[in-house]
Amino acid sequence: MLRDYIKSKWHVYGFAILLIAAGNAIQSYYPRLLGSFTDRLQQGKLSHDAIVDYSLALLAVGVAFGVLAGAGQYVVMRLGRLYEFDMRKKLFAHFTTLSERFYSKNGVGKLLSYVMNDVTAVRESISMGINQTTNATILILSAMVMMTLSDIPLRLVLVCVLPLLLIPWIVTRFGPVIRKRSLNVQDSLGKMTESAEEQFGGIRVTKKFAAEATMNRRFGETVDRIRDNQLRLVRVSSLFQAIIPFLGALSMIVTIAYGGYLTIRHTISLGNFVELTLYIRMMVAPLQQIGNVINTMQRSRASLERIGDLMAVEPDIRESKSARHRSLEEASVSIRGLSFAYPDAERPSLRDISLDIAPGRTLGILGKTGSGKTTLVKLLLRAYDPPAGTIRIAGADIRDFTLESLRAQIAYVPQEGFLFSTTIRDNIAFYKRDTELPTVEKAARQAQIYGSIAELPESFDTRLGERGVTLSGGQRQRTGLARGLIKDAPILIMDDSVSAVDAVTEKRIIDGIRKARKGKATIIIAHRISALKHADEIVVMDEGRIVQRGTHKELLAQAGLYATLHAIQEEGGREDAEPTAR
Amino acid sequence: MQNRPPADQRSAAEQRTVSDQRPPADQKAAFRAFFGYIRPHRLSFLLVFCCTVLAIAADLAQPYLVKVAIDDNILKGRDDYGTLLVICAIYLGLALAGFLFTYLQNNLLQYLGQNIIGRIRKDLFAHIGKQSMSFFDRMPAGSLITNVSSDTETLNQFFSQVLLSLVRDGLTLIFIIAIMFQLDVTLTLYCLILLPVIALIAIGFRTYMRKTYQISRAALSRLIAFAAENLAGMNLIQAFHQEREQQNRFTDNNRTYLRANLREIRTNVLFNRSFDILGSLSIALVTWLGGVAVFNSAIEFGVLYAFITYIRQFFQPISTITSQWNTLQSTTVSVGRIWSLFAVKPEIEDAAETRMLEREKVAGRIDFNHVRFGYQAGVPVLHDLDLHIAPGEMIGIVGTTGAGKSSLISLLCRFYDVWEGDIRIDGTDIRTLPQSSLHRLVGLVQQEPYLYSGSIVDNIRMFDEEITREEVIRACKFVGADDLIGRLKDGYHTMLSERGSGLSAGERQMISFARIIVFKPKILILDEATANLDSYTEHLIQRALRVVSRERTTLVIAHRLSTVMRANRIIVMSGGRIVESGSHAELLEQHGYYEELYLHSQGREERETG
Repeated sequence: MLRDYIKSKWHVYGFAILLIAAGNAIQSYYPRLLGSFTDRLQQGKLSHDAIVDYSLALLAVGVAFGVLAGAGQYVVMRLGRLYEFDMRKKLFAHFTTLSERFYSKNGVGKLLSYVMNDVTAVRESISMGINQTTNATILILSAMVMMTLSDIPLRLVLVCVLPLLLIPWIVTRFGPVIRKRSLNVQDSLGKMTESAEEQFGGIRVTKKFAAEATMNRRFGETVDRIRDNQLRLVRVSSLFQAIIPFLGALSMIVTIAYGGYLTIRHTISLGNFVELTLYIRMMVAPLQQIGNVINTMQRSRASLERIGDLMAVEPDIRESKSARHRSLEEASVSIRGLSFAYPDAERPSLRDISLDIAPGRTLGILGKTGSGKTTLVKLLLRAYDPPAGTIRIAGADIRDFTLESLRAQIAYVPQEGFLFSTTIRDNIAFYKRDTELPTVEKAARQAQIYGSIAELPESFDTRLGERGVTLSGGQRQRTGLARGLIKDAPILIMDDSVSAVDAVTEKRIIDGIRKARKGKATIIIAHRISALKHADEIVVMDEGRIVQRGTHKELLAQAGLYATLHAIQEEGGREDAEPTAR
Repeated sequence: MQNRPPADQRSAAEQRTVSDQRPPADQKAAFRAFFGYIRPHRLSFLLVFCCTVLAIAADLAQPYLVKVAIDDNILKGRDDYGTLLVICAIYLGLALAGFLFTYLQNNLLQYLGQNIIGRIRKDLFAHIGKQSMSFFDRMPAGSLITNVSSDTETLNQFFSQVLLSLVRDGLTLIFIIAIMFQLDVTLTLYCLILLPVIALIAIGFRTYMRKTYQISRAALSRLIAFAAENLAGMNLIQAFHQEREQQNRFTDNNRTYLRANLREIRTNVLFNRSFDILGSLSIALVTWLGGVAVFNSAIEFGVLYAFITYIRQFFQPISTITSQWNTLQSTTVSVGRIWSLFAVKPEIEDAAETRMLEREKVAGRIDFNHVRFGYQAGVPVLHDLDLHIAPGEMIGIVGTTGAGKSSLISLLCRFYDVWEGDIRIDGTDIRTLPQSSLHRLVGLVQQEPYLYSGSIVDNIRMFDEEITREEVIRACKFVGADDLIGRLKDGYHTMLSERGSGLSAGERQMISFARIIVFKPKILILDEATANLDSYTEHLIQRALRVVSRERTTLVIAHRLSTVMRANRIIVMSGGRIVESGSHAELLEQHGYYEELYLHSQGREERETG
């Protein structure tokens, strides 16, 4: 994947490497210039003009290096960012193809870390890897070449450089330790923030139980942990920071002792000596870079593998080859002998379900949490695949529909009013963002949310979420309802969609829906009887089975779950007027 | 009073305008207070300073040694290898000293900084904990968390980066300039001409870089937020077949971030490279001027060599110091924010002389005597509320949102103080009680039980180690939560994470009931404790509730009339006043608001079928 990217951009990379290499080759002339300057100056062979020439030459070397290396660096970094952009785009597109089965196993935090951390790690390793490796190898190589080209004996060079060769080794030893410890610091900082969040969120409870002292202690522990981790980090990192210049100094000592000795003996010239000290200084940084590159590469290899594994996950809901776009208008749904178990689940969630939903009819599904109501809906939307032939629409297996024809023609209203951080209008018109405002308003009226939205400062253009307005649970649920109703789809599924709404509003909504959905199929799931008692048929589900079916009146007449639930729910009645009153 | 009504009563429009309201920061006073934390450590700071000076001195003396070696030994051509070895030995000594002192200085400074920050964090947290509820109403929790975690972290950066860099790089610069002057005055003066130019370029670039950095950070956080939200809502995106549309929107965000990034990279490269080139320029200048001086025998060659080395070392500290400028600015902001928080005095404090009520002896009589109260000056929420509750009585409170039910119980918990009138428990004004003893006397169960990360046992005893495990288990058996906890993986030691996610709403509520039993309050308030539960769980909870309210004065605020019907007395509130009061049967006979409420739910059925 990464290789493909680099291959496709190889000429740009080649160009950048050439730029950096040229810059560094020029840069390595710098000690050479100063060395020859020294020699000629010492021998008194230098004229005034020549001095000016030397300084101009030094300047030229500096400028050339700056411009060339800078340009190369920019090109490489830019390519890295483009890779990052590309990769994130691909990842996100891949995410949209993965089914609920995948999301039930992978939390948002984990997936987000692919998009953010892993992609960044890979990008850094390409940018930094190419930049610094080129930098370092070219600089070291040309320095070595320059040193051997001049009259400095190779033996001397090797001895002087010896201590420096430890640098890459030290960097690779320290790097992972420092990284691990600084991750610990980050971790403990996160823990403290979490603790503060928890304590401030529960301040009423803390106060009510007069537990301030305990909570201060709990928070204090997280603070102390940060300090301990920080100190553990600084112990290695400062050791590391001090050791590199120390090795540089060791090299210098060898240079002075051995090189100085040879200079005194006139084996090498003073110019050679000066040159040597400058080369030694010059090589500290690139050797350190090589160590860094090794560390980054190791880290990013793991990231690259993780990304590769993720991209290799095949979407498990796929359109079959024979899938066709079919209209659901006037189509009835028939479910026959449907049993279904979630992957990895011990027990089936649905057992032998048979149901018919004809256009113009309303089906009510009642049951406790975990009775299989929502599973049934997920199968209808093909969030999971039902066994072949068990669900048919207009006579065709649901697996022979294109996903689009299914999902565009079934309106689904989930229980939790999940809204996106955009305008209310965009949220309601989610299925088709360019819907005219009057249509949006009509849906909002149907969902009994129009009044609340109209009161907001920017009405339907009000932004929701982080820095915008937050709606109450009931308001969110009704907005979600409007998002489903606006589709005016042949099939509407309401999955406990009025649970957070008070009884009066609930009745208004249900009445409105009955009127609007004449001639279309509607499925209403609820655990409150009031929401579905008008349905043409009501099925009661328990542990994945249909245990009762009939109309409201028929079911009340039977002894069973329906009558029991009715008794509990209507016992003493409920308070109704509360939430809408202002 | 600047109070605002609690969040649940605020309209959306009002919520938008609520921002941090705190006194404007007095920068000077804030910094004085900050240095108050530093002062006790001044001797240690002096030690750090000494270490730094020694480390730098050891570092900077090294090129000078080479100069000595060149001028006095190598150039002289004498066969005096012994002196050269002495120089090497000194060099080694310096390198070791530099190594040691750099290490010491880093560790010591971090140790000091961490201790100071830790102290500030703990103090700040305790200070916030002491505030009254009105404070939490107007301060968004997010901003408080920022204060405690990020703002203090900025202070930490002040120690580990700003202070360190100011001392180390500042001293390095001064030392270099001093050595250069010592080597040759004229040449140094020429070099110093460059200094303001370098500083100007650096500061200019840094300001611009800060701006580009902020833009790209903002773009990044938008990108993350978008991705997180879309991953969370992926089932909806797929159910509405909006994959392509959301991909396009993601790409828009992604591209904005890319652009911001490229701009940032451009600025960075440009800055670093122009600094490099400036370095080459000054070396060329030194070579030219120094070369001519050596040529005229005005200076020795070693001096020129040392100059060239030092001038190269000149740029690093300047670049580092200017990069600290941004951190310094954010430190100023953070110090201001933290100390403006410290400056807020808790609105509710214990009276100078408090009276103790023995919890065992409290009967549980409550009197609201002509209470007037509101959140905003001039807008009363409770008008002349007069309510007297006998020990052990169970009172149900019903009414619409905004009728004053929640205010009533907030006052009894002394989350706020009354404007007029008083509230007494067993005849004692609650304002004369220490808050901690009042809070143990009055227990509150809320609609959304709040659980902490930790084991179930710890959650029930609120991390109070003095309460034994056996007491906790007894309490759970008492409310009927024992079975339910026994079914969990690790029983009572099951660790709850993220506020008890993994437990159902009913299970969480059962735990909070057990908590109440453990703490044995004499007065119990149930604030919509059974809303949001499905019918079966509510059944369980109702049973627990009957057990819990036994022998306690109990106030029940409820959504569903079924909860309240069994109360000894039901209070109907409207517009901050008690409009009706009596038992269920009595109230129905009054044919008033209560009857209307009752018929609304009950009668709906009959109207339709009959």
